[in-house]
Amino acid sequence: MHIMEGFLPVKHAIGWSIASAPFVAYGLYSINKKIKEKPEQRMLLGVAAAFTFVLSALKMPSVTGSCSHPTGTGLGAILFGPAAMAPIGMVVLLFQAILLAHGGLTTLGANIFSMAIVGPFAATAIYRLARTARTPFGISVFLAASVADLLTYVTTSAQLALAFPDPAGGFTASFAKFAAVFALTQIPLAITEGFLTVIIFNSLARFNPRELNELNVVTAREVEA
Amino acid sequence: MLIEESAYTNRWRRVSPAAKGITSLCGMVAAYAAVTPVGACGVAAILCAVTVLGAGIPTLRYLRVAAPALLFLSVSAFSLAVSLKIGNTFGDLSLHFPRTGYYRVAEVSGRSLGALAALLFLAMTTPLPDIITLLRRLKAPEVLLDIMILCYRTLFVFSEAVRDTITAQSARLGYATIRLSIRSLGGLVANIAAQVWQRSQALHLASMARNNDGPFRFLEHDYPNTARDMGVAVSGGSALILLALVI
Repeated sequence: MHIMEGFLPVKHAIGWSIASAPFVAYGLYSINKKIKEKPEQRMLLGVAAAFTFVLSALKMPSVTGSCSHPTGTGLGAILFGPAAMAPIGMVVLLFQAILLAHGGLTTLGANIFSMAIVGPFAATAIYRLARTARTPFGISVFLAASVADLLTYVTTSAQLALAFPDPAGGFTASFAKFAAVFALTQIPLAITEGFLTVIIFNSLARFNPRELNELNVVTAREVEA
Repeated sequence: MLIEESAYTNRWRRVSPAAKGITSLCGMVAAYAAVTPVGACGVAAILCAVTVLGAGIPTLRYLRVAAPALLFLSVSAFSLAVSLKIGNTFGDLSLHFPRTGYYRVAEVSGRSLGALAALLFLAMTTPLPDIITLLRRLKAPEVLLDIMILCYRTLFVFSEAVRDTITAQSARLGYATIRLSIRSLGGLVANIAAQVWQRSQALHLASMARNNDGPFRFLEHDYPNTARDMGVAVSGGSALILLALVI
């Protein structure tokens, strides 16, 4: 769920950009470090950004009858890690703004915060927690992808509510309004994307287990199995 | 992609990207600086007219590109117009439309339309590689530019692979029901994800074969009238900001 160009007041647009900047800077630092150790990672991250962009442009059937687009935050975070997802997400969101007019340049900081920081970090944390608790692989992936989607949508609703508090009910009422209006599309999207991500990982685990092992998504024992 | 098509075929393809960037930036500043919603809507109208009439972008294509953003705006504007009163007891909620809400909707809508028109002006007249070149001149981090270049060059390869796979899956009724659609989409994305490693390995080998050990460099286009373009952009942009402050 992208906040459109110019929608946020100037203080909020700048504030969210400042909040996102350290994550993007750390992501770039970690990517630079990785590239020095393994130069082939530069190509991998660039191609991964293209993959995320193409993924976000796919039409996904929704239970509400309409079509939605997957965000790919959960999938990207499990595959490439949350730190790398901040700069990758920034590039993808910038491309979406310039090539598709989804989101915008003034709202880039706010969109990065919800879609490239909160979503990926939540997905990674949930995936690791679930794997530590010995939850089956499919359920861990489903939880990570759908909760990441839900948290992205909750963060966007909170960003909008902070910018436009309700005159009568303040932040809480405004948050309830935005969350309720967008819930119609976002909750089914989160569930569908959860299922979709499970199918993707099942296919990857079946046909590309070594790549998943290289990225620490599955263990060597699971690869052999 | 409709925007990409326009960016390469518009009348201002050979106008300096820096000049178009300045005009777009001034448009955004004007949209935010506008004193009244009418002023912001005026900025939007001028930028729309400049893009459609000046750069020769077809009106229908312009509207199709703006449609998703306008849908977001209409849904959000409704949320802004409605005020929710939460009572003391659970479930005690009431909706009403306060008079102040309308002004806020007009203000936000005007600003959003102005800023959207400024974004579309830049996006629909300037190809992305030109914007990347502009970012390089503005000293954006090299690693970020490398990711952008690779992303831009690979996304069309992936788009074609996606299109071909969807055609093949559809021919086998892969999208006949919702259940089959999700299954087919899962297979499609997994297949494309596997190509991420294969293509990145191939690109790495190709770059090694060319002794590439640093950032990607490309020849830049020449823009013969850069000084004139910059002059027009600065004066036009300043006039736009002044207009927004006056109306």
